[in-house]
Amino acid sequence: MSDTSHNIEHTLHPLKKIEIIVKGKREHFVQDLLEKSGVSGYTIHRNVAGKGASGFHEGHLLFNDEASLVMFFAVSDQSKIQAIINGLSPLFESSSGVMFVSDTKVVRLTKFLSAEGQQDDGS
Amino acid sequence: MPTDLSALRARVENAAKVLGRCWPLQSYIAANPLAGLEKLPFDEAVAEGQALYGGRGYPSVAQLRAAWDAGAINANHLADRLEAYGFTESPAHLLDRMEAATPPSVNRSNDSLLNRVMAKWLAVFVDQGQATWTMPRRQEGFYAAWRAVAPYDTTLAHRDCLHDLPERPLEALAAALSDVEPSQWERVLRHHLTALPGWASFIKWRSQDRHDAWQAAHPITMTGYLAARLHTARAIGLPVAPDGVAEAAVGASRNGRDRPAMAAPWLEAWEATYREQLLHDVQAAAATIHTGAAPDRPKAQLVFCIDVRSEVIRRHVEQAGPYQTFGYAGFFGLPMQFQPYDSDNRITACPPIVDPKHRIQEVCGDHRPDAAAAHERWVALGRAWQRLIKSLKHNVAAAFGFVEGSGGLFGVAMAARTLIPGWLRTQHQAWAKRVPTSDTFCDLSLDRAPAADHADGLPVGLSAEERSYYAEAAFRLMGWQQFAPVVVFTGHGSETVNNPYASSLDCGACAGHPGGPNARILAAICNDPAVREVLSERGIVIPEDTVFLAAEHTTTTDAVRLFHPPTLTERQAKIVDQLRRDLHTARVQAAAERAPALQGARRSHAVADTARRAADWAETRPEWGLSGNAAFIMAPRALTAEFSLDGRAFLHAYNWQTDDRGTALETIMTGPLVVGEWINMQYYFSTVDNAVYGSGSKITQNVVGNVGVWQGNGGDLMTGLPLQSLQVDDATPYHHPLRLLAVVYAPRARVSRVIERNAQLRSLFDHEWMALTVLDPEHSNRRYVYQPGGTWATPSTESRDDQDTEPALAL
Repeated sequence: MSDTSHNIEHTLHPLKKIEIIVKGKREHFVQDLLEKSGVSGYTIHRNVAGKGASGFHEGHLLFNDEASLVMFFAVSDQSKIQAIINGLSPLFESSSGVMFVSDTKVVRLTKFLSAEGQQDDGS
Repeated sequence: MPTDLSALRARVENAAKVLGRCWPLQSYIAANPLAGLEKLPFDEAVAEGQALYGGRGYPSVAQLRAAWDAGAINANHLADRLEAYGFTESPAHLLDRMEAATPPSVNRSNDSLLNRVMAKWLAVFVDQGQATWTMPRRQEGFYAAWRAVAPYDTTLAHRDCLHDLPERPLEALAAALSDVEPSQWERVLRHHLTALPGWASFIKWRSQDRHDAWQAAHPITMTGYLAARLHTARAIGLPVAPDGVAEAAVGASRNGRDRPAMAAPWLEAWEATYREQLLHDVQAAAATIHTGAAPDRPKAQLVFCIDVRSEVIRRHVEQAGPYQTFGYAGFFGLPMQFQPYDSDNRITACPPIVDPKHRIQEVCGDHRPDAAAAHERWVALGRAWQRLIKSLKHNVAAAFGFVEGSGGLFGVAMAARTLIPGWLRTQHQAWAKRVPTSDTFCDLSLDRAPAADHADGLPVGLSAEERSYYAEAAFRLMGWQQFAPVVVFTGHGSETVNNPYASSLDCGACAGHPGGPNARILAAICNDPAVREVLSERGIVIPEDTVFLAAEHTTTTDAVRLFHPPTLTERQAKIVDQLRRDLHTARVQAAAERAPALQGARRSHAVADTARRAADWAETRPEWGLSGNAAFIMAPRALTAEFSLDGRAFLHAYNWQTDDRGTALETIMTGPLVVGEWINMQYYFSTVDNAVYGSGSKITQNVVGNVGVWQGNGGDLMTGLPLQSLQVDDATPYHHPLRLLAVVYAPRARVSRVIERNAQLRSLFDHEWMALTVLDPEHSNRRYVYQPGGTWATPSTESRDDQDTEPALAL
């Protein structure tokens, strides 16, 4: 490790983090929403197991990729996270799934604020 | 993205939830047309289906009367069910009353101008090679292509309003809904999606499929379709939100438990009658399963697909010699796309609930260059001929002269195809023998080949670990204990001509494709010494004298063709020679067994008749497909081998004694069983209301865009099975519309744990989309019947208590 790394005090910038857990068949929708919302990136955990209102969902089923859960998380500023919340809230009126929003801090702020939302194509 | 637009996107997703998915004809998938309503109890869902689509949810009075008259509904079971539902009248009187109470058929014609216009534009947009002149600007997506041409559509009185539409579909949809309260958006969108449910279901499938080449080239989304539809409504002068739509919520028309359909007890009694006999037979076999001596090593073992049609041929193979058979999902556990030799076509060869994770290519090997060259020559000749005919037929200048000049020749060919199709098939087969098939000179790209990967595709080949994993999974799931000198993985496909529904007769586990490639790949994996070494370390010891072969069972003719084998020892070669002869014997027997059910077939000429059906272009029913399916049995073959299941049961090999942790059972129940439920529900609904959930008579169908069929010359895409696949004639049913019974031979506590850990399974059982009975080998093979809510009942014949209800979980 270099000597200088001990001496630099990194500045932490406050941002919002959203975690989303939905059924596998909603993965496409949520991924599309994140792409369009303008977050600079996101993480997907597939084959997530867990228990919710509709009961236990096993992960890693060998012959069924639709039944298990998918978890996303993304970090961005308040406005973009709010857009995701607004896009998901109607979905959760009739589909099972949860989202959690929390405060978080990052070092490299530009990494999380650089992207613009993708435009719809003509399909 | 503005807030209201992101909310609108979610409203579109919600509105589309009631729809099932509809696959294109090339990979017909038998799926529940009410899949979008499976979260509701069956009784409520079918009532909702009636409200949304006008479809009947229970067998018609005529179907029930036919079953009652034929003795398919036991009087005691019926009395029991009628009493439970509070009906006190006699069955005959009840049938009369149901007949009188049947509402006159409501004409839910979708032949409105709006539907006609949308069906027209959808058909030209999604065309997959049928049209000679294609829609312009398709590569920009459906909405963009429609937006470019719609202002010139002279059927739209107010088409001027289409000139300045927003460029983006979501914004266009928001603009179309500008006069509608946001709280009503979802209902309005659902109204429009269910107006042409066939097309909407097709869009739903295509927009969600990540690997479809047509979607990649010409994308279409639900949002784009809705935007086009709502603006078309405006251009016709129709309100975007017709009167009454805003009030129509899902569930508003529910036929609740307090007011059950009158047909429900009849259906349940019909199911109970079939199930009682089946379970009696299986239970009797279970009682003897441990008393026999250890079986001798069979000469050969054949693994067939779980498909109900395999049961018939398996029985006759077992009777023909010292052979053992197994049932396994016909994609042989390989989640893959297959790219045949000399083709750009990538075939998804795994069930619709499994994402393909690998691509396997058939590549020309260097071991038989002569065969490869001969194949190339013949194929090139055939293609050149086809191109010539097509260009002559479609070329404006050449078409008239071509018809004049070649009419006589084509007339003779037409007469021959009509009058002597069997003879033509024999001649064609004799000719085809000269053309080496790709399995004789090609290798399969089993090794990982990163250089062959496409940026848009899947990894080509399998890693060493993956190869061992899929081989191990196969043997673990089937509870394999002893290997014969010859093991044959046998996929299946059909043989039929002039049949848009050809893929519905192929292997459902291979997404409506023949299963031969999957069988070849698993056989090649299992012959790999490195794989065998890994399996041996994991406790699956394959003897050195065991060789794995691949074959394909043609369900139309019951012929089983062995693919080009690897090098065989003398002993193995002898066994294979004998097996070929015995497979022919089994074919003759199986065809004769099926003959009485196929109109016009004679037992004595059954093989010739099946060959004729396979080649006859006027044949509307080359085979019965999966008609009759009603049960899914997860047990060792010994429980079902001694009696005929009449080709009505899916059979998956399962050995509870080699699966202490229940992982094999969980895989079978969450995978193959769920697909079995899809198939069963497709056959069920296509039978109880063929006009709405099926696709009507083949006689009046036309193929549209190579993606589906419609009746006549327009309208909605028909999503289900044709009448001829289900009925002997207009009045005589062949398929019995019964919900699937899952039978598991395993400790009940283990089955309970699987259900408890898988919400999808529990929902299907709790909501009575299928039923479950366990035969518990740890409790004297006692029968336990799963009850909605998670309890178990023991049939009164087996217990002093009428309802020996116990908690589902003995934890």
